[in-house]
Amino acid sequence: MSHQLPVILFLLPLLAAISMPVVCLKHRHWSQPISTATLAAMVLVSILNLYNIVHHGEIRYVFSGWAAPLGIEWVADGLASIVLLLLSILGLLGVVFNKPIYPKALGGRIVHFHTLILLFISALTGITFAGDLFNLFVFLEVAAISSYALVGVAGGRALFAAFRYLILGTIGAALYLLGVSYLYAVTGTLNMADIASKLPMLLSSKALVGGLLFMFIGLGIKMALVPFHTWMPEAYTYAPESVSPILAPLITKVVLLAWVRIIYWVFDASIVIYDIPILKIVAVLGVLAAVIGSSLALAQRDIKMMFAYGGIAHIGIIIIGIGQGNQTGFVGGIFYLLNDAVMQAGLFYIAGVAFYLYGVRTIDDLWHIGKQAPWLTGSLIIMALGMIGLPPTGGFFGKWYIILGALEAGNYISVAAVVLSTLLTLAYFVKLFEGIFRQTSARSNIQFGEVPLAFKLTMGITSAAIIILGLFSAPIVQLLLDNALPPGL
Amino acid sequence: MIRSHDSIIVQTLGRFLIPVVQMFGLYVLFFGQYGPGGGFVGGVILGTGMILSVLIFGHNASRSRIAQRVLHGDGVGMLIYAGVGGLCMIGGGEFLNYANLEIPGLEPASRRSLGIVLTQIGVAVDVAVTAVSIVFSLSAEEIIEDSING
Repeated sequence: MSHQLPVILFLLPLLAAISMPVVCLKHRHWSQPISTATLAAMVLVSILNLYNIVHHGEIRYVFSGWAAPLGIEWVADGLASIVLLLLSILGLLGVVFNKPIYPKALGGRIVHFHTLILLFISALTGITFAGDLFNLFVFLEVAAISSYALVGVAGGRALFAAFRYLILGTIGAALYLLGVSYLYAVTGTLNMADIASKLPMLLSSKALVGGLLFMFIGLGIKMALVPFHTWMPEAYTYAPESVSPILAPLITKVVLLAWVRIIYWVFDASIVIYDIPILKIVAVLGVLAAVIGSSLALAQRDIKMMFAYGGIAHIGIIIIGIGQGNQTGFVGGIFYLLNDAVMQAGLFYIAGVAFYLYGVRTIDDLWHIGKQAPWLTGSLIIMALGMIGLPPTGGFFGKWYIILGALEAGNYISVAAVVLSTLLTLAYFVKLFEGIFRQTSARSNIQFGEVPLAFKLTMGITSAAIIILGLFSAPIVQLLLDNALPPGL
Repeated sequence: MIRSHDSIIVQTLGRFLIPVVQMFGLYVLFFGQYGPGGGFVGGVILGTGMILSVLIFGHNASRSRIAQRVLHGDGVGMLIYAGVGGLCMIGGGEFLNYANLEIPGLEPASRRSLGIVLTQIGVAVDVAVTAVSIVFSLSAEEIIEDSING
């Protein structure tokens, strides 16, 4: 039975998503409990799955019984299972967060929202497990289409952002598909393990370089890597309050994971094509993303926009870690990925609460909140500690391992970029707190009522998770070292 | 909102041709077992038949009733597909491994055949419904809104 767990994880949200429009035809308010229950079940199953994989090794699931190069294969290894646990927890929290907010945020489209969220999460599960380049593309598209719809679900200003996201995302998907077809033309197979075994004798092929490049640009657009990031801040800023905390931490990180899979599992980490070391280029792009993302975040006045640019910078930092080509950097990058997903979710919960309860969108209005909203300000302080990377939080240990990895590889520019990005992060959080604690003579006219339980839960859990990830960083890094390392690293 | 077509020729021909189109769709769907055809193509043809009836008779006509009803069934095809896959998993095999489709009194070969037919029916239903719902949403968005919001 335990070998069925990966596909059960995928089917749970998918089945709930496709039966949602029928079940909720008459009773729209059923959609919230259904999706909460589904995602709670998914969290339990993914804990079981992680336990099973840590103790009994990876699962290679072949659909309909056709063996690997012919059939479609899913690889449930340590890395995928860890990311999947994170994914299901953040999905569940996002749906819980939606409960008090939806009449205002979604404009009555509650069934659309839950259907799309569940579809989105099942597609991300597919991306995480896919052991086949084309299958990866299919799930990438399902996730992308549901996220375009999610951004625009409430209509209004978000529709423009969603349309822009649609155009850029489709270009990204098309480039990825082009890259896959180049690889297929060279190797004659789409299975990742099969391609990996055939590549070493094909390294002089020009089509291979082209394919790799197209795939990288395609996935780069989807993960909002710096020259291709323009869709991301607008989409996250104008998306409804209950959508952005689910989109922001998940889609870019899971696509980044897909890229890690391709570069480390399909290609070799130490691969050199035409004297060009691929990982070096990846690390340079990471440096650019980290510095440019943080600088742009410093320039924003809108809170959600600022957090979105912060996310772009963090994609860069993760890529710096992954691009070092040694164990320390890789594990640091993955650990930082987990932290960053939690932090992005937490930050967008905070931005959502600030807008929903107090009507605050920009730094200039933050003084209204001041010291009178302890849950919001408290969790914002913890998130800030995590984003800057101060010791008890997980952000510190992630950056620490990434810097250690860069020093090990002798890559001093990467170290400088991480440090510079940290300083810039400090700067924009100083700007944010200066906005909150500013002394003004004006009196705020906001009524401070009771904070709904769902907000307390989501902000509390993400803040606690940042601290817990920091305090238990040693066992988590050990878990990653034991289970999530790519072959040959 | 699509109104019915004025021409008597189109109306009469539609009355004769639409059942033929639907029959042909079913034929292609089931012929997929033995030759070219299958769920996707069959579903497209079935969907085309329903779209034709909407275009010719208007979408409030009694002849278009199937198309209106079918709109609520979006996802039923997927449920059939996933249900067959799930039955295979209950039988102990992988998802969609028809050899494990546990139906008493069936030989292994007929299990595989039946499994493929059922999943293809699921695919056909989904494709047909999607085709119809695209036409409906292009012609009148309030229908979609009403059907989903209840």
